[in-house]
Parts: sequence; C-alpha cells; structure tokens
Amino acid sequence: MPLEHLFFKRDVPFRLYEIALGKASDDELKALSKEMGLSLSLEEMQRIRDYFVRLKRRPTDVEVESIAQAWSEHCCYKSSKVFLREHIFGIDNERVLARGDAGVMVFDDEYGYALRIESHNHPSAIEPYGGAATGIGGIVRDVLCMGAQPVALIDPLFFGPIDHKGELPPGSKTPKYLVSGVVGGIRDYGNRIGIPTVCGGLFFDESYLGNCLVNVGCVGIVKREDLRDNAVGGVGDYLILCGGRTGRDGIHGVTFASAELSSASEDESRGAVQLGDPITKEPLIHACLEVNSQGLINGMKDLGGGGLSCVVGEMALSGGCGAEVQLDDVPLKESGLAPWEVWVSESQERMMLAASENNVKRILDLFAMWDVEATVVGKVVPGNEVTLFWQGSQVFQVDLDFLTKGPEYCRPFKVEVRSSTVKHIAPKLPPIDRIIIDLLSDPNIASKEWVFRMYDHEVRGGTVVKPATGIMNKSGPSDATVIKPLPDRETGLALALGVNPWFCGLDAYRGGMASVDEACRNIIAVGGYPDSLTDCLNFGNPEKPERLGEFKQAVTGIGKVASYLDLPIPSGNVSLYNETARGSVLPTPTVLGLGIVEDVRKCVTTDLKKKGNLLYQVGETKDEFGGSALYRRYGGQGGEVPDVSPEVLKRSMDQLHECMKKGLIASCHDISDGGMAVTVAEMCLGGDIGADVHTYMTTKELFSESNTRWVVEIEPFEEKEFLNIMTIPVKKLGKVGGRDLTISTETEKFSISLDEMRNAWSGTLGKLMG
Amino acid sequence: MKDVKVCVLRIEGTNCEDETFQAFASVDASPERVHLKQLLGQCPSDLKRDLGSYDILALPGGFSAGDYVRAGAIFAARMKSGLKKELISFVENSRPVIGICNGFQILVELGLLPAMDGTMSDIPDAALYTNDSGRFECRPTLLKQEKSHKSVFTADMPKGTVVMYPSAHAEGKLMFPKEKEQKMLDRLLENDQVVFRYVDPDGEYAGYPWCPNGSLHNIAGICNPAGNVLGMMPHPERVLRRETHPDWTREEWKEDGDGLSMFRSAVRSVK
Repeated sequence: MPLEHLFFKRDVPFRLYEIALGKASDDELKALSKEMGLSLSLEEMQRIRDYFVRLKRRPTDVEVESIAQAWSEHCCYKSSKVFLREHIFGIDNERVLARGDAGVMVFDDEYGYALRIESHNHPSAIEPYGGAATGIGGIVRDVLCMGAQPVALIDPLFFGPIDHKGELPPGSKTPKYLVSGVVGGIRDYGNRIGIPTVCGGLFFDESYLGNCLVNVGCVGIVKREDLRDNAVGGVGDYLILCGGRTGRDGIHGVTFASAELSSASEDESRGAVQLGDPITKEPLIHACLEVNSQGLINGMKDLGGGGLSCVVGEMALSGGCGAEVQLDDVPLKESGLAPWEVWVSESQERMMLAASENNVKRILDLFAMWDVEATVVGKVVPGNEVTLFWQGSQVFQVDLDFLTKGPEYCRPFKVEVRSSTVKHIAPKLPPIDRIIIDLLSDPNIASKEWVFRMYDHEVRGGTVVKPATGIMNKSGPSDATVIKPLPDRETGLALALGVNPWFCGLDAYRGGMASVDEACRNIIAVGGYPDSLTDCLNFGNPEKPERLGEFKQAVTGIGKVASYLDLPIPSGNVSLYNETARGSVLPTPTVLGLGIVEDVRKCVTTDLKKKGNLLYQVGETKDEFGGSALYRRYGGQGGEVPDVSPEVLKRSMDQLHECMKKGLIASCHDISDGGMAVTVAEMCLGGDIGADVHTYMTTKELFSESNTRWVVEIEPFEEKEFLNIMTIPVKKLGKVGGRDLTISTETEKFSISLDEMRNAWSGTLGKLMG
Repeated sequence: MKDVKVCVLRIEGTNCEDETFQAFASVDASPERVHLKQLLGQCPSDLKRDLGSYDILALPGGFSAGDYVRAGAIFAARMKSGLKKELISFVENSRPVIGICNGFQILVELGLLPAMDGTMSDIPDAALYTNDSGRFECRPTLLKQEKSHKSVFTADMPKGTVVMYPSAHAEGKLMFPKEKEQKMLDRLLENDQVVFRYVDPDGEYAGYPWCPNGSLHNIAGICNPAGNVLGMMPHPERVLRRETHPDWTREEWKEDGDGLSMFRSAVRSVK
C-alpha cells in the first residue's frame, strides 16, 4: 500500500518526517505499523492518531517510533500485566528494598542483594553468539543500575534436540549451531567482564526448534546506603550518557521481540540484534559503581529495550519531572543517523546517570580515567514532558503520562489442562539398569560439564558450592550454587533454578507450582533457606487464547506457592510470542530462587560422603508421571502432572533445614528429572562410591518425579535425631558403599557399576557437540 | 611492624582485582587497586600514584583490554611504553612482583619472565599459548611446588608440597620457540625458575584434565632467576579460605585455603 502521501519531510538539514496520522485510514494505519516495524495494533495506532489530533499537529517520526517502543509488549507488558498484578506483584514483605530494573532484597543489616532474570530469545534465535552475549550485557546493567556490584550470572537455555535430523522450521538454524553460538557468547562475554556464571540449565525439546530460549539472570550485592533509584533526583539534574556509542545496531529490538518469528525474521531483523563489547562494559561497571559509592550521582538506569526513548522517559517520570535532551550531543558510532534512530537505538554498554551540576566534572574525570566515554546530553526540567532538540530544532515533545501509560489488555484466554484430555498411554519399560543408563545419558539429565567448564564460574573467588561437587574431576551435579559475596562475612547466597516445561505443557498450573517447588528444594538441599524469587516467563503468542491460558495458569501456580511461602518476586520478565509457524514453545516459566545461607561453612553438597552412612528419602512418592523423563523416553503419554502442596512444602523445608543447621545431613540431593533412582545415581558419581538401595516401590515409582522430595545421607549415629525432627514422611532407602549402585524392589534387583554410570552421564553432551 | 603497601594494578578488562586485593588484605598488608593511568599521571591529580611507593606489585587475572591481540599484550605494551624504568628499578630493588593468569601473560609479554638474560628482555622469550583442548578451562588443578631454594613466595611451601589452586584460562600453555625449547627448559630448571607444575592426586605429572592446557613440562608457574618475580596461570587468590576448594565438604573444616600461604610469605619478605 502506498504510504508516501502521509510522510512530510520537515524543512531542516537532517532527516525528519512528520506523519499525517490524522488523515490516515484504518488500513493505512495498519500498513504504517507494519511498514515502520512498530508492532502496534490498529487500536493502538488510533490512540496515537487521536492524541496528536487533539494536539492539532502531525507527530514526527521520532514521536511515533518512541511511542511504539514504550507500548511494545516487551516494555509495557500489556497482555500479561493483568495476571501478574493478580498473582505476583502483591507478594510483599519488609525484606523487599526495591523493585526497580532489578529487585533488591535484604542481605543483612548493611547490605542488600539485587536479582533479576530476563530473556534474550529472539535475538539469540537470529544471531546466537551476539544475542546471548548482549543478553548477559543487559541483565548485568539491570543489576548495576541499582548501584549493585554484579556477583553471579545464571543462564538457563532451551534448544531443539542437538541431534535433530528432520526438517527445521523455515528460517531457523540447527540446534547444534545455536547451542555452540549461545554458549560461546555467554562464555566470551561473561568471562571477560569477570562475573562468574555459576548456575544454569540446558533443556532440549522439539518445541524449541524454531525458537530457542535464552534466559539470563544476574545477582548483585549492594551496600544499602548505595542503593539507587532508577530516577532523576530533581529539576536541574544533568543527564549523563556513558559507555558505548550509539549506532544503528539494535534498532527495533523490543518491537521485534513482540512478534512471532518467521522465515523472514533473519533478513528483516538482523539489525535488531545489538553488538556486545565486554571490554567497554567491564570498565563501565567499575566507573558507575565508583561514582555511585562516592555519592556523586542521584540516580542511574541502563539503556536496554527502547534505548534512550525508554530510559529518559522512565527516569524523568519516576523522579516526577520532565527532561530536555540535546539529541545531537549523543556520541555516535557512525554519522548520518536520523534523530529517531538515535532515540530508539538499543546499542549496548550504555548507562544514563542523573547528577547535580556540581558533581558533573568529577564524574566526567573519573570516566575519562577508565577510558569510558561520558557525555552530558540533557537536563531535568519541571513539568511532565520530554522534549528533544536536534541542531536547534525541536523534534519531539510528548507528555510522559501518555508515553508511559501504555495500553493494557485483558485478552481472551482459554484454560486447557492437557493432562486430563490426552489419552493415558503407559510407557514400555526395559529393566531398571537400562532405564538408569538411558536416563543418565538423556541430554536433559546428563552432565553439563562441557558447558560450565568453559564459563569462569569461580572468578571473584566466592563460589562456595560450584556447579559440580564431589571428588576432583569425578564430580556430580549440584542442586544450587552458593556464593559468598562479601569477604568479611560468612553469609552466603544460594541460587537455584526451577523449571519443567514438560509439566507445564500438560498442566501449566501445576507446572508453575512445580517450578517454585524445585527452586526451593534446591536451595534447601545446599543448606540455604528460600528468600525471594525472580522469574522469566517464556510463552507463545498471547493473542491466541490457549497460549494466554497457559500463561495465566502458570502465573497462578507460581503465585500460589510463592505467596504461601512468603517469597516476594521483586523483579522478572515476560517473553511472549515465542512461536513460529510450526507452533509455540512449551510454556516455560523459569524461576530463579535466591536463598540465604546463614553460614556458608555449613553448606551441604550432593556427593555421597562415607561408606556405611544411611540413605533416606524425604517426602512422598505418588503415582504422578505426566511429563516425566521416564514417560518421555519410553513413549508414555498423558498422566497426572506432579502436584504441589504448599503446606507440605513449607513443613518439609523447615524440617530438613533444621537438620541441616544441626549438621545431621552429610549429603543431600533433590529428586527431580529421572526420579529417586537417578538422584541416588548422581550422588554416587560425585562421591565415587556406590549405594545399596532396598525399596518396596514399583519399578515405575523409582522414576516418579513427585515434587517436594530429597534423598539425604546421614551418619548412623545421627539417625535418631534426624527421625525426631522429621515428622513429614521419610523412608529408609539403604546404605552407602561399594563400587556399584544396587537397587532391589519387590520384584527386581539390579546392579550397575560406577564406571558405567559415569560414562553414560559424563560423555553425552561432549559427544553430541563433537 | 611495617605497613606493606601493595599495588594491585588494573586496566579495563582486568577482573580479578577484588580477590587479589582481598588476598593481600587477609594477610594484613595494605593493598590498593590502582589503574595504570594513575601510575602514568593520566588522571585527576589527587589520584596520581607512584609505583616506587609500593612494596609489592600484583598483576591480577582477567582479560586486559579484551586480550583481543594476544593475551596480556596490550597491557604489557602500555606498561612498557610509560613505565619501563620504574618497573626495572622495582624488580632490581628485589621487591616482589606477582602475575596471576592474565598477569602471568603480561609478565611474559613484558619480558619480566622468564628473564634469563637480565631483568627485562626486549622481546618476549616465551608465550602462553592456546590450551590443547582449544577451550577455556575452568577447573580445579593440583600444583606441586618445585623450587629448591627458598623464595619470597614459597617460604612456607617446601619443595614437593602439593596445593590446589583452580585454573581458568583459554591460553595457559607455556611454550618456547620450538628450536630453543629444550635449551630454554634446561636453563629454566638449572636456574631453579620452575615454581609450580601440574600434578594428579598422587603427585604424578599427569595429562589432561590434571594439566588443563598441555603446558611444556607441566609447568604452571615460573619465577625470574632472582625469585622475586612470579607468574602463574592458576589462581591462589581464589582459595584464600577452605570453602572455595572444590571438595571442601568432604573434609574436616579448616579455616585457611591453600592460596593464603603464598601471599603471607610475600608480605613477610618485605616487612
């Protein structure tokens, strides 16, 4: 559709167009949104049109672009907010210190910890190396702009099966290429900025073939007096843009993230992927923390989605002011950018500082010492408008209320619980020893060592429980990682992920609950106690009622367990439209749990410690196999998805934590993928010692993934005290010892050697990646 | 008791300065994080520093300037062009210099190691090359102390002592020019310049993964002939306390990690 007649070039010596929205028909509005890459609906375009008709003027391209950024799903959560408000936002307690770009919780009397997780899915699907690297860059800035020193990175990743042979969805890349690019991007960026990547996950499923998920989390530590608002201090503040220069990379990142991927995404959206530069970021972190701790700034915020257009508006609004920006003062990577491009570019490694006039010089000097560019680009003014100038001409003036109060929808949703509609088919099971080997070598369960040895997970010297634990070079998996963020105190932070897309695919409500249960189990298993959560909610197209139904159910499940446990979720991220023509990804609510470890010297790991010690299972095993690794591996279908009772979870956590504090637990591993049998096998690997398990479970039950369960190892002389504390169901499983894992049930008895198990578990990923 | 001042030197991309600072702070020295530009006078006047006023120089790990040219090359070039005289006199005054990981790479690029023919060679005599695995390797490594004569860093570590210092690098394979390799190695050993070699739990010189990079003669760390300049790939500053060892939950609790004694010994030597 020809649209040229709607564009009027203004008589200025640079590229600036006014758009005659008032004259545009509905069809033309729709075409404009598509043509300009705005990802806005007709109603939203009409709202913009009406606003400028009321002002009796034509908007400039800068204004229209800016509004599209602010109103994107990515920035304003227009489809999801209604559910988040109902189930998530209300969970609050006095430990929440801030809910800004990152959430901040009480660490101790003097310090707080910052946390957030977000997605970088679409960029990574197009350009895996750069997409993942800039994902890390973005989440680090979210933590940094609270005034916090980043201390840990977390990255759960979801791909199609590495050995996928069949056809790929049009335009998508092979999983192997994506895995290697994403892991490489995280490695090169994370290692260079010197923040340890301590925790993560790799998940493989056909549904991620066309749309991989790259979630990135960051945790930071901040002196409570250094905690900053993401806001200007007041009228007269200077706005200082610092870090990387602004270029054409990363234009329309957020609007691109707010639409489904298609075969044309590669060509249309390559420019939406930003370019990362860790060696600008690394000194930027130092310089920002330095000016902050010296009390030189009033507020700071990172430039992420929407670039300057979002950061200036949001900082001014939060400070109750307006702002004027000399847009042509922004340092550029290349000349010739139009004002709108500068305003919405998402070029990386940039931060905005707000500072009083008398501190500006010192700030600029300190940045100069670090060889990081810092430039005054604007000033805070009274009122509630943002005004932009370019070579002396005003190119933008919009009311902040209009700009930032984006639309909010209660779209139609449909709740389906597939576990109750899918016909139940029982899997055909081989003997127990075969199942254990098959599951240990399932890429979803097998060792992720191939990945995490490439990440520096020990830089900063505070990683107490590492991704792998046990005997050197024979280690097994950890449940949570523990870091000791401050050298002068024994308090630690436990970090753990919880997510089970297969549970969510069959029953998003239970899946949502299970993700919180899993994160909490993991934290308890290392000796911590859950304190807060942050979540990255990856779902399909919310304009499809079934997809939105999944979202609603998952959020309800997460909220139910989190609120019962009094676990605030002070930050998070929603990523919708993770969908291609072939369909949606599995509903994937990734929960990152943070726990406080009172004394890191009391941490517990998963590796079996000593011959003769006793093994107990904590928690109840139920006939719940929906979505389990066992069913997926052997052709089972449907089945009940593991449920969660928040009351039982709370009691179990408290009792097991009590045992941990008393030092009764020699090792502990939560029961998740692959059930109790795989859990014990992994414990054997880390300790390089066998175990003898006698149980009256059925073969199937050995592999049940019922929630709220752990396996613990205790010294015989401490058994009595353990049993006294535990009023929730516990079952004796057997003893530690030997060079085999032996399991006997009522009907079967099998032994597998440590070597055989280690081969299956350790070798898989490296072999697949070649 | 004398206050021991330690210059923990950094530029952009240096990223182990906090734990290196902590290492010296935990043995009662007074470390300071100093940007190279503070020594070069390219900073606000109140921030200027003089290398000569420090007792110990530490070059922490990281990816200085991104390591995009060759690991440590840019940092070394910037030091050499603006600070060569001060560096030489610092070393010749027998003050300890330690370079860890990227710091080791910088010392080799600077010619301060192995420095078999004088304090600082004009061009690098050795290289720290890409690991045999071709990958970044973050893993625990065991090192055997090999130095026969007491030195400032190993006073509390008799020859044969095995310690656990973790490694985390992509380029840690010590190499000499092929044609001179054997001769250089012989001289290194003759001069008692080999400080640490990678071993397995039995104390044997073993291959991957115990030696994470394929380094010549399993070498993990070397010093200059005088013994006051030490460079090593593994990270003692990451194991100041027991709980950052990889298998600490398997043992009785002890306060000190293996890394502490090196820093203690260096600080004591200048007290």
